[in-house]
Amino acid sequence: MAKKPNQKTYVYLNGRIIGHVADPTAFVNEVRSARRTGNLSGEVNISYMPKLGTVNINTDRGRIRKPYIIVENGKPKFTADIKDRLDRKEIDFNYLVRSGIIEYLDAEEEENALVAFNEAGITEKTTHMDVDLASIFGFTVNMAPYPEHNNLARHAMLANFIKQAEGMYATNFNLRFDSRAYILYYPQAPISTTTPYTSTRMAQHSAGQNFVVAISTYYGYNMADAVVINKAAVDRGLGRSTFYKSYTDEERRYPGGQRDMFRIPPPTAEGYLGEHAYSKLSEDGIIEPEMPVEEGDVLIGKVAPPRFLEESLGASGLEEKIRDDSSTLKTGERGIVDSVVFTESPGATKIVKVRIRSQRVPEVGDKFASRHGQKGVVALITPQEDMPFTPSGIVPDLLINPHSIPTRLTFGYLLEMLAGKAGSVTGQFIDGTAFSEDGTKRTEDCGKMLEQYGFDKYGEEELYDGITGKRFGAKLFTGCIYYHRLYHMVSNKMQVRSRGTVQILTHQPTEGKARQGGLRFGEMERDVLIGYGASLLLKERLLDQSDKTDVLICKDCGAIGYYDYIKKVALCPICRGSNLVDIEISYAFKLLLDEIKSMHILPTIKLKD
Amino acid sequence: MFMAKEDKKQDQATQVAIGEAVGTVAAQSIGEPGTQMILRTFHYAGIESTIATSGLPRIVELVDAKKKPTTPLTYTYLNDNIKNNFEKATDMTKRINEVYLADVAKRVVESFSKGTITIVLNRQEVEANDLTAKQIASKIEKAFNLDTTVEDRRITVNVHTKDLRKIRSTTTKLYESVVSGVEGAGKAVIRQDKKTQEFYVVSAGSALEPIMELEGVDKSRIYSNDIFAMYRVFGVEAARNSLIKELKQTLQEEQGISISDRHLMLLADAMTMSGMIKSVGRHGLSGEKNSVFARAAYEETVKHLINAAAFGETDPMKGVTENILVGKQIPLGTGAVRLTVKKEDLAKLKPKKSKD
Repeated sequence: MAKKPNQKTYVYLNGRIIGHVADPTAFVNEVRSARRTGNLSGEVNISYMPKLGTVNINTDRGRIRKPYIIVENGKPKFTADIKDRLDRKEIDFNYLVRSGIIEYLDAEEEENALVAFNEAGITEKTTHMDVDLASIFGFTVNMAPYPEHNNLARHAMLANFIKQAEGMYATNFNLRFDSRAYILYYPQAPISTTTPYTSTRMAQHSAGQNFVVAISTYYGYNMADAVVINKAAVDRGLGRSTFYKSYTDEERRYPGGQRDMFRIPPPTAEGYLGEHAYSKLSEDGIIEPEMPVEEGDVLIGKVAPPRFLEESLGASGLEEKIRDDSSTLKTGERGIVDSVVFTESPGATKIVKVRIRSQRVPEVGDKFASRHGQKGVVALITPQEDMPFTPSGIVPDLLINPHSIPTRLTFGYLLEMLAGKAGSVTGQFIDGTAFSEDGTKRTEDCGKMLEQYGFDKYGEEELYDGITGKRFGAKLFTGCIYYHRLYHMVSNKMQVRSRGTVQILTHQPTEGKARQGGLRFGEMERDVLIGYGASLLLKERLLDQSDKTDVLICKDCGAIGYYDYIKKVALCPICRGSNLVDIEISYAFKLLLDEIKSMHILPTIKLKD
Repeated sequence: MFMAKEDKKQDQATQVAIGEAVGTVAAQSIGEPGTQMILRTFHYAGIESTIATSGLPRIVELVDAKKKPTTPLTYTYLNDNIKNNFEKATDMTKRINEVYLADVAKRVVESFSKGTITIVLNRQEVEANDLTAKQIASKIEKAFNLDTTVEDRRITVNVHTKDLRKIRSTTTKLYESVVSGVEGAGKAVIRQDKKTQEFYVVSAGSALEPIMELEGVDKSRIYSNDIFAMYRVFGVEAARNSLIKELKQTLQEEQGISISDRHLMLLADAMTMSGMIKSVGRHGLSGEKNSVFARAAYEETVKHLINAAAFGETDPMKGVTENILVGKQIPLGTGAVRLTVKKEDLAKLKPKKSKD
């Protein structure tokens, strides 16, 4: 739909119509030149949509914008002279933006731009040039080397894994009381690095380690995204980290002058946990630093006034009733008290923060991931002497299954292994910034470095089986690659239950780890047992191991009766008879009958025999 | 019934055991592959004017027993003497193809002073449908009981009134009036069977009865994907069979999912066993369960409980859901069998008991 002659072009400012222009191209050019000369804010973006007959000016927040070098008359404004001045630090990036050499475009204005990849690609029509080709990817993807050699879907995973990696999230971590924190013991800068990685100083806060990896199976232990790791490497500190968890409590004040108090609760307090639970507390009711604690131990002893006002005075009318409101270490947790802090809230109430520390040595079930969306769970920690080894004595830290590579198209993984190996033998960091070099040249360069030190230029090694001592029939690709330890650890997640707590309302088992709950036997699971015809197994699951209750039923009228312990006889409250029988039903059904009764409907149960 | 030994063995081996939860197994067998169904469907490019609903929406439509399917189609097969004749088949297509006046009219002019409506026909369209102005005029005369005069490709309808509203409403009705083809049949297309090379007509409607009245139509083979049309014309057994056919076609041919016919047969049987087509769900099968608890456990809990209380219903406790609810062993599988003692045996036991 071409614009008709003399048809007006409407101008929208942040989506609202503000007027019209006769010559949109001239208008847009004028605004742009005003922006480039600094007469207009650099945050203004303008775009002309000939098909829609609109000019859109956007100045509002929330637009994603990307910097581009301005190209005019086939020549980029970023010249060799300016580059020199930038290198000599006479000018900075902001100067380039201010002086109209670089400008930010938003998604709409990009529609009006023709962007060249580099100077060689500039034609007459080109309006902009990329600052760097790596800027095609975002920040997180640029943390990985060779992203241009990977499947795009893997980058989405990588971006998630980097966020989950343990590392040095803040250098003042020992002063902070984050509710959960993970600190890696020996973080390393990656051997194969990228320009965005170094320029953002990520190496100073790195979140991983360089692992020696061989692509090999290991007696089926690394099937389906499992990995085998070297026990000796773990003992040397590979992937080791500390887990910090903070508990906070406050002395609250309540209307009516009542307040909480930090202290060891007296045995008379409601909900007293028993003398043993408070044994690690010091006199003030707070735990001491460097005290080993286990689940169920009280960290902060606190008493609180009762929840309901009537209870506040005891039976004698003199003694004030109190309730135990201590903070205990949650189920499955253990560690050492790292630090205790006493402070005050703005409302002048006392606050106590307790931080627990525990060492997390990699164990079976912990999760690791490389920078190419290749995650894996430790399935075996094998002694170093059982691991494959090279004639020169190199033993890999980690064995990844070869099946992980071809279907996922993560060739960056292989490139990084090669580059990591070349970098570690030559003792230098190797750049793997996206699009900075041709893939073939990269492999050749790394190959040359490896050959120089007597290694195979393709990164292959003759490995020997650590168990039999026999040489493997084929050479295995071995290299050095950066790995992250992700914070999903079995020790924080595992939970078991055989018998345990039940819900008050339904008498059914509780749900969730925090409540020592069971796993839900849901409707689909129910259908499976029905389909199989396993009627007694189904009854066991849904009744015997759940909410079985004994109920007395009146044989005469079908109502639910009760046992009178004084008269020692079962009675029916409806017909006053004592002809009752004991039956097993689910508590949920009894609850349903009770609720129906509460609506003035009397359900009766007719029994056979 | 006579059966060869081997056949009898086979027959017994494939029989379902007593207490087998056939319904649940069928539901699982249809439900699990159903999760793999893709919304993306493949269409054949070309003249096909109608694109039939397929995939999950179609399955839902069938199982919910929708009175009017989104894309009803009728497959009209021809008698043996004309089925391989392209001209005759094309002729049949034209006889079925529903043409509205709006399709052939170029413009319609109303004259309020004279009380007439003048229809100017589009020559190309009229010829394409093998019509003449006279034919159209007589159709209008019959349908509206009005006088018409034909003059080249101009039809003037005399409305006999100068009431503005009446003229206008007649015009709108005229637009929608059928000038050619079978009313309710929709647009018809000719197609050729790849295997038998015979021609047949596909039309985008489910008006089976008027098509069957046409000469040359093979009444024994005419088929519609509208289950209710099949039910209306051929009865409940035909509806059951076409339900199975449609389900199978949607699952197997369009989605590449193969399910044993028996499961689909059970589903279709359950939906049609009352002699009518009933949907699976609240308004059909599930809503007509015998047990109060089973109905209350599914949907509209309060409604069922209140009605049960008002009418003093008794739950026979014969089904699965209600027995799970109260915590009894379900009457299926291992729970379907009971122990019984013969009366004579019981009599033998009595003296022993008295000794203890």
